[in-house]
Amino acid sequence: MRITIKLIGPLIYAAGFSEKEISLSGSPTAGDLLARAKVDKKRPVIITRNGRAVTAADALRDGDRVVIAPIYSGG
Amino acid sequence: MKGWTGNILRVNLTNSTYKKETFTEEFAKKWVGGRGFAVKFLYDELKPGIDPLGPENKLVVALGPIAGIPAPNTGKAVVAAKSPMTGFYGDGNLGTRVSEQLRKAGYDALIVEGKAARPTMLYIEDDKVEFLPAGEIWGKGTYAANDWIYAKYGKGVGVLNIGQGGENMVRYAVVRSLEGRAGGRPGMGAVMGSKLLKAIVVKGTRPIPQADPEAMKALGTGDLKTVHELDKKSGWSVQSTNGVLAWCNEVAGLPVRNFRKTSHADAWKIDGERLNDARVATYGCPNCTMRCGITIHDKEGRESELDYENVALLGSNLEIFDLDQVGSLNYLCDEYGIDTMSAGCALSFYADAIDHGAADGNFKFGDAERAKELLGLAARREGKVGNLLADGSLRMAREFGHNSEAYAMQVKGLDVAAYNCKFIPGQALSFGVAPIGAHHREAWIITFELKNTTRESYGPEKAAKVIELQRIRGGMFEFMVACRFPWIELGWSLDNYPKYFNAVTGLNWTLDDMWKTADRIYALIKLHYLREFPQATRKGDYPPAVWFDPANADTEGPIAGKHLEIDKYDGLLQHYYDQRGYDKRGIPTRSLLEKLGLSSEGVAAEKYAKLS
Repeated sequence: MRITIKLIGPLIYAAGFSEKEISLSGSPTAGDLLARAKVDKKRPVIITRNGRAVTAADALRDGDRVVIAPIYSGG
Repeated sequence: MKGWTGNILRVNLTNSTYKKETFTEEFAKKWVGGRGFAVKFLYDELKPGIDPLGPENKLVVALGPIAGIPAPNTGKAVVAAKSPMTGFYGDGNLGTRVSEQLRKAGYDALIVEGKAARPTMLYIEDDKVEFLPAGEIWGKGTYAANDWIYAKYGKGVGVLNIGQGGENMVRYAVVRSLEGRAGGRPGMGAVMGSKLLKAIVVKGTRPIPQADPEAMKALGTGDLKTVHELDKKSGWSVQSTNGVLAWCNEVAGLPVRNFRKTSHADAWKIDGERLNDARVATYGCPNCTMRCGITIHDKEGRESELDYENVALLGSNLEIFDLDQVGSLNYLCDEYGIDTMSAGCALSFYADAIDHGAADGNFKFGDAERAKELLGLAARREGKVGNLLADGSLRMAREFGHNSEAYAMQVKGLDVAAYNCKFIPGQALSFGVAPIGAHHREAWIITFELKNTTRESYGPEKAAKVIELQRIRGGMFEFMVACRFPWIELGWSLDNYPKYFNAVTGLNWTLDDMWKTADRIYALIKLHYLREFPQATRKGDYPPAVWFDPANADTEGPIAGKHLEIDKYDGLLQHYYDQRGYDKRGIPTRSLLEKLGLSSEGVAAEKYAKLS
């Protein structure tokens, strides 16, 4: 399946990309993308799929847009 | 008493007099400083009903016990007065050397009364106070005025000044400092202008009193380094606050087209990546090691400092997706000394009102050049349009009629910060119950809402989170007077703050003591509100009506068809009141006031309205 990953803020510089489409096989979950994006396991993040929050265990579907962001606090 | 100078400087501009007053240790422990001092002084000293732009209003500059002492991030001051935007207590904080210099001069607060006969600059150096003519810089923008002051006194002095917006009493004029810092969104700059006070310059030469200066030095300097390392490790300041723009765009929370839309395909053009790529320099406040001020060259080639709020409200919300042009609009607001957020909301409301046939005029979303002209008209209060814009979105709506107040994006007269709560109920509550109007400083719970509960919930957990954050953000950081960013952005522990406080004061406070003080301050702000608006109802704590309108719901995207529901919002509001101990109007009850040590303040309020 094809998934678009979008990273937010400082996560971009650790991963070396801001947004890209990737191919995944099997039954991937949102959490599987954290390693692909080189997100530090200790770093709290919020993951959204197509604009709605999901947990790391939630399954992905073909065509999903998954956004991984640090926990923002509204300035 | 350690940790406080114990002194207030009271200045009267009408007769060019001043006096040093003292306060007791009991007062210091009850109100601590900053917002606590300001709200108490103004409650006791301002008669309800006075004109916020008349000589009876008072401007307070207030500091806290850790203000100005090297530690994360203590270079801030609170400015406060009766607000010309909202008609009751208003305040703001800004990074400024005044935090250190005023305390070194021997004062924890400055109260400015009366009105000068001619444009004046106040110069304070320890026990000396001078009322100097400011005719040479009256009419000039904040940058030129600041340069003039630096040329005269050197760069180390503390400066608070206003631009043309403050001079012309634009209701959302701010107080400026340090070339890029601004504070007092509810019009504290307009209050300075109404007093013909162009600038306050402060120089101090004495040590700031501390119970254990060695312990504080060891704590503070070490922690400044640690915060810097945390920032480097996390990468937060690479995009600073503007990192959140791209995220808001993804989760349908970005203000676009006067909050009519929640995302836009061109938002990437003004996001944090583009801002970092365009970076010219980085600026920060005193005692800050995680500097957030990113400057770019604007369309005209000037250096303009941008953050999320001004990029969103002068950019996406006006459908201007050209970072250079957003930089220009921001530069003009800074030069005129007007609040970028309320200016953005006034412009977006004007375009929306024209769009909806409520107003005649020449302004369309996306027209950056016309937006620049309009900012100039507002700052100079030039012509009918300039005067309308200078009064802010709520007063414009009341002038235009045609139900346009529904989409004037404000609460209690203060414009909403740059988070589109069309379907984010908890953050809508946060704006609704923010004690001075729709400021994002008090509580921001969007990631909590999305991650820890559901967007659909109107449950008590959201009210509890708003209160928890109000105690921290609008409470502790505002009365200690320090920047909240090390905590909220880098996870710097809140437990550090009682440590600083105790090292400086010699007391033994815990965070619980901080929360009680915060609740006291919030309750007194509500009494200010009640005294000015005795007929106040809970409707005053509702967010803009357009967020409840099904016709305004998104037609696509993650919240398609969704909108806030009025009955459910009212239920969420009641959760907030119940948890706070407020009555059905959102006013603290007598028993709560007694518990908070505010019985006499309650008695004073009952001259104007009944308490429950």
